[in-house]
Amino acid sequence: MMSELIVRNLLHRPLRTLIGVLAVAVEVALVVLIVGLTSGLLTETAKRIEGIGADVMLQPPAASVFIGMTGAPMPIKIADKLAELKYVQAVAPTLLQFSSQGGVDVVYGIDAESFRAVSGGFVFLQGHDMEGADDLLVDDLAAAAKHIKVGDTYKLLNHDWHVAAIIEHGKGARLFVPVATLQDLVGAPDKASIFWLKCTRPEHTEDVMDEIRHLLPGYTVRPVSAMLSLMTSTNIPGLQSFINAMIALAVAIGLLVIFLTMYTTVIERTRDIGVLKSLGAGRVFIVRALLTESAGLCLMGIVAGVGLSYAVRAAFLVGFPTLSILITPVWILRAAGIALVGAILGASYPAWMASRKDAVEALSYD
Amino acid sequence: MGIAATIRTPSEGLIVPGKKSLEPILKTENLWKLYRAGKVDVPALRGVNFAVAHGESVAVMGPSGCGKSSLLYVIGGLAKASKGSVLVDGNELTAMSDAERTKLRRSKIGFVFQRFNLLPTLTAKGNIAIAQFIHGDGFDPHRFDVVTNLLGLAGRLQHKPSELSGGEQQRVAIARAIINEPKILLADEPTGNLDSKNSEVVLQMLRQLNKDLGQTVVMITHNPEATAYFDRVVHMRDGVIVDGVPAD
Repeated sequence: MMSELIVRNLLHRPLRTLIGVLAVAVEVALVVLIVGLTSGLLTETAKRIEGIGADVMLQPPAASVFIGMTGAPMPIKIADKLAELKYVQAVAPTLLQFSSQGGVDVVYGIDAESFRAVSGGFVFLQGHDMEGADDLLVDDLAAAAKHIKVGDTYKLLNHDWHVAAIIEHGKGARLFVPVATLQDLVGAPDKASIFWLKCTRPEHTEDVMDEIRHLLPGYTVRPVSAMLSLMTSTNIPGLQSFINAMIALAVAIGLLVIFLTMYTTVIERTRDIGVLKSLGAGRVFIVRALLTESAGLCLMGIVAGVGLSYAVRAAFLVGFPTLSILITPVWILRAAGIALVGAILGASYPAWMASRKDAVEALSYD
Repeated sequence: MGIAATIRTPSEGLIVPGKKSLEPILKTENLWKLYRAGKVDVPALRGVNFAVAHGESVAVMGPSGCGKSSLLYVIGGLAKASKGSVLVDGNELTAMSDAERTKLRRSKIGFVFQRFNLLPTLTAKGNIAIAQFIHGDGFDPHRFDVVTNLLGLAGRLQHKPSELSGGEQQRVAIARAIINEPKILLADEPTGNLDSKNSEVVLQMLRQLNKDLGQTVVMITHNPEATAYFDRVVHMRDGVIVDGVPAD
């Protein structure tokens, strides 16, 4: 009977119900998408780094795990020392340069031969490997997003590059240029930001890392396999706070709309509340009825919100192929829980107000 | 199938169809009800002494604002008395909390209102069934069928209030009021929004409930003709009962 009452009440004012459902849906979608976008980008970046195929990465002392934020303070000649270490099969010095031209990118300046030795080489979808000093390799996703074709001239870092090839994504960056040209462009001759090392066997990773620590004390040495666990929002200063703030904002929107929806519901149903009291319904019954209605509205909003999240992700991926939005069951459940708590909180005062209504006054309400 | 067969026998053994007990089921002594209007207390009831016997039907008449509805709400436990005593089936309402009065109302009192007061979102069936649900016994299909057949509602149960005539709505309201077999039925001008034909139907039903089932009925009315259906008529003026004479 209670469920019938709830369903019929929700259907009685379809527009109001729809607005409440939409508010919760937006709340859920905001939480899922903000977290999904953040974790998606970080996970995708980590996977691309792992996709290089290196076992060890060497960075300057106190370097961030977010390698695009690192400058180029290491002499490139370190590569020769590293190559002499036992169990090291190949070393690829790489210069990283952040670019905001035509989008936010980290450009890898590589030596084609050494990078191939570490990574096993690119998969060329179109075009050929770097041959000239101005050759640019673009991965397929970036090419689709930026509408780049082989043979095009592409302006990057105030330099005109010749697009030599479209390569399969997943090898660190989306844009690759010759390291020497990039060193000249950014004023960092003979410098590298990071060294990728390939061990003779993966199980020698720890041995190689120990040797590097002896050779270059204070430098940052990491196993590339740990990137996925290291690339989290909690490792970026301020990012977790930003996510929390966005979640709080989404919750506030949902809570306020639910509050308003249930508040107007209670006012509209003042007489009905009086009738229920005349039938012997106590305060608990009234509160339970309104909170259940709010929860029902919230559940519809959660379902709509999950659908909205997937729809927005699909639309984003069409418009921005390089974006990665990771929607996980864990965060869907968390967003649902957050929305449900918000809906219950939002409905609590109206429900309490309804339960306290004077039955006689309620019955004479017009 | 006779409805009398479905009526529970109360432990007190006071409801005997067709018979009245001298024991009052409702009794007020020096009952006062004050309403706050700004900084002033306005008395709606000024020391009402009133008693209704088990199985009796009483019509309360009086001009607007004389306190009839206040009396009904106080003896029905919807409003708390300001002073005096209110005994309902042996329970002193003035000593009860709001929750206790709610519980007593749930088990012993049924209300019928002038404006029907059906829940607009529910069907006729839902409006009756929700009273059973609130009562806590769950849906009793046998009892439900007996009551709805008695009130001629069998074919209208899937309709919402907005799809029912005034007479039908009031019959649904009566069904809702008696579905849990309360000892007392309180009706606040139940024919006030009905035409004469439907008024007569409703009044006959109230009388049938009283005569056939021994239901105690207290009804407020402005209509002198309606009093013919009741055992006794009580007149109120300025918050007090001014007389109490048999209707016939």
